[in-house]
Amino acid sequence: MDSDQNMKILIVDDFATMRKVIRNLLRQIGYQNVIEAEDGVDALKELRSQKIEFIISDWNMPNMSGIELLRAVRADSELRDLPFLMVTAESLKENVVEAVKAGVSNYIVKPFTAEVLSEKIKKILEKK
Amino acid sequence: MEYESLMNLIDGMASEFLFLEVKEIDVPTAGKLLNNLDNLIKETEALKIDQLKKVACGLSSLLEKVILDSIEDKEAGFNILEKGILLMQEIGDAFRNTGSYEGNSNDFMESLVILTGDSAAKVESEAEAFQQDETQSAEKIEVQDESLLRDFIIESLEYINDIEVNTLNLEQEPENKDHINAIFRPFHSVKGVAAFLNLEQIRDVSHDLETLLDQARNDDLAVTSHFIDIVLDGTDALRAMIVRLKDHLEGRKPEPLEIDISDLKNRIKAIDQEIPDIEKPKKLGEILVENGVIAQESVEESLKVVQANPQKKIGEALIDEGKVSSKQVSQALRKQSKQDINNSTIRVDVKKLDDLIDMVGELVITQSMIRQSQIIQSNMDRKLTKDVTHLSSIISELQRTSTDLRMVPIKQIFHRMSRLVRDLSKGAGKKIGVVMEGEDTDIDKNMVDEIYNPLVHMVRNAVDHGIESMEERVKTGKPERGLIQLKAYHRGSNVVIEISDDGKGLDKDKILKKAVENGVINSSHGLSDQEIYKLIFHPGLSTAKQITDISGRGVGMDVVKQAVEKLCGKIEINSVYGKGTNIMAYFPLTMAIINGITVRVGKERYIIPTVAIRQLLRPLQKSYNNVVGRGEMINVMGDLMPLVRLHKFFGIECEYESPWEAIIAVVEGEDRTKCIMVDEIIGEEEVVIKGLGESLKDIKGISSGAILGDGNVGLILDPEGLFELSEM
Repeated sequence: MDSDQNMKILIVDDFATMRKVIRNLLRQIGYQNVIEAEDGVDALKELRSQKIEFIISDWNMPNMSGIELLRAVRADSELRDLPFLMVTAESLKENVVEAVKAGVSNYIVKPFTAEVLSEKIKKILEKK
Repeated sequence: MEYESLMNLIDGMASEFLFLEVKEIDVPTAGKLLNNLDNLIKETEALKIDQLKKVACGLSSLLEKVILDSIEDKEAGFNILEKGILLMQEIGDAFRNTGSYEGNSNDFMESLVILTGDSAAKVESEAEAFQQDETQSAEKIEVQDESLLRDFIIESLEYINDIEVNTLNLEQEPENKDHINAIFRPFHSVKGVAAFLNLEQIRDVSHDLETLLDQARNDDLAVTSHFIDIVLDGTDALRAMIVRLKDHLEGRKPEPLEIDISDLKNRIKAIDQEIPDIEKPKKLGEILVENGVIAQESVEESLKVVQANPQKKIGEALIDEGKVSSKQVSQALRKQSKQDINNSTIRVDVKKLDDLIDMVGELVITQSMIRQSQIIQSNMDRKLTKDVTHLSSIISELQRTSTDLRMVPIKQIFHRMSRLVRDLSKGAGKKIGVVMEGEDTDIDKNMVDEIYNPLVHMVRNAVDHGIESMEERVKTGKPERGLIQLKAYHRGSNVVIEISDDGKGLDKDKILKKAVENGVINSSHGLSDQEIYKLIFHPGLSTAKQITDISGRGVGMDVVKQAVEKLCGKIEINSVYGKGTNIMAYFPLTMAIINGITVRVGKERYIIPTVAIRQLLRPLQKSYNNVVGRGEMINVMGDLMPLVRLHKFFGIECEYESPWEAIIAVVEGEDRTKCIMVDEIIGEEEVVIKGLGESLKDIKGISSGAILGDGNVGLILDPEGLFELSEM
């Protein structure tokens, strides 16, 4: 699993503190290679400029939301197969169905622990 | 044939289903299944196969629940999914072969409903348990990461400011869903992070507000001004909590972090039941009762009066009946609109920045002393000359960047102003919109707090005296809603803040009449419009016919002028009677540096703030008059102005005794202009202001000192103080 630990993860969230929280959690479970984007548009720019292996994105963002980003990624022949973990809130769980239909790899409900995050990531990577 | 695609869909699902494991749901596969089910439902609609459609719909909702983890008995869920797919194959086959299905799907539907219906009740408790479970574990990840908390505080305070603005926008356009979204999102983000950081109360309040906004977004709740009030109050509560958290973090206040939000929470819960649009006057009454000014009964009595006469405000009614004084009302009103003005967005301790900028200022001075020293001046070493030049360019760049550090956008002040307008206009029973321009204009952080009060005064005046009552506006053919425009931009080394209203404008004749009556001026002859308008800055001069709650007696403009001038700023007024008023306030970019004209008197150097200088000239001998009883005067383009000989006040020798040999600086004070006589103009420069220290701070005529480019010390003149000195 060593190669997985080195994979480049993109965190997409408009709230900088939230990005930091997720970054910290990822560090706890051994993922160090993390970059950040503050919305969908920004994320697409990153995705197209470097090799990213995993996306963790918030749902609710200005400019381009998580679901729009997901659709854009799935519609892009280069990026289509990227693992995509959607972060959502308990109160917006009904959105999850929409994301699932759009081809999300999995979803995670805020707030979550490092363990839950780790499990979700592993599960997605196993399926790959 | 028409059943082919239908069957393909069902068969496809059957094979997809093989990939699903019993205990673990694979999200992407579930997604494909869901999409297939959606397509299938469409097909069945087209083919009118109701039985099949029912099953597909049932399966789809079951699958959704499975994805959302809200089915307890996962195995049963999967069994039913499997059965459902088999059943669909059966029904589809039957239709393809015979065009109808004789079997019975009711049993299946029942078991499906039992499972999903049964789970519906559990969903809530489960979700709750889930949440609790998660918050507990969140406690574990509390990370003790202070920097994370700090980030959160700064970022969420910024978000809260955004929320405030967007809420005000929403009030203007309640139908615009974009505004709701723009408010919803930051609440949502704050809530999310608060949950991670285990800040229960913050999470709670933002969650409640988020829910409220969600309802509004789905049109379950109307955006009334009552709704806006609650959102704004909630925002205030959030800000208070975060500021408290900040204080706690900085070790200032060990008091409990929690504040009492039960009232707010109840209001949020009761939003549907509460009568929308409770008039503000009632709240004013409440404040007055709380302050012990009057009894509840008196308020109620007056309220009846107000209800009978809707144009009357409660404050007015109370004053008319002699129950309270206007001062008490205005105090209560002020209390009503009181807001927290201490939120900084600079992420470094401002003190440190100040120190840094101070040191850079010293560096600049030292550098220029070195450059001007004899040794350097006469030095022939080209390398050294080059290095010194390089050094100075680096240092001036450093100075520029370091002053930039303390700059913040004027946004936050503007936002508070628009909030103020909202509160005030409600109190005055007027409808007023606010348009902002140039919110990103930077201004020194230290200036922000200083210009706040003068701006509040001006905005208050615009709301109270500028914008007419709604009836009056309609009568004169203006839209019912008044408009106040806030504009900010840079001009030279000044920040200009413009406050315009489309109200009734200034009545020149009335101002003049009043000014003559009060003995402010002798005659109205020969005054320019500007000069007439400026008369409103005179203490006690007001053109408002009626004293109102908000602006008291219309005084305040003199306070504004003093405050602005204390900051080395100035004010200009333009107005078109009946059309509106425009006030432009010029402030220096920073308080640490002013633009000044350096002058010499004898051996001494003085700095006159450039904003105060109207003209520099060498008068003709014939323009000098010594008028009996009024002292020495200079005729400057037709106006006689008193001559002030600097050297007399400061007890120094001057070079030229006669004004026509010396230079005259025409300098404006608060309400008069005088000629200051100096020997020589040395030049214009930006000087770093140095305080003179506690013991010398009240010296008349001198505001502070500065170290000049050549290393000498110069004193910065305070025109108003100097004039007072000359009149003693």
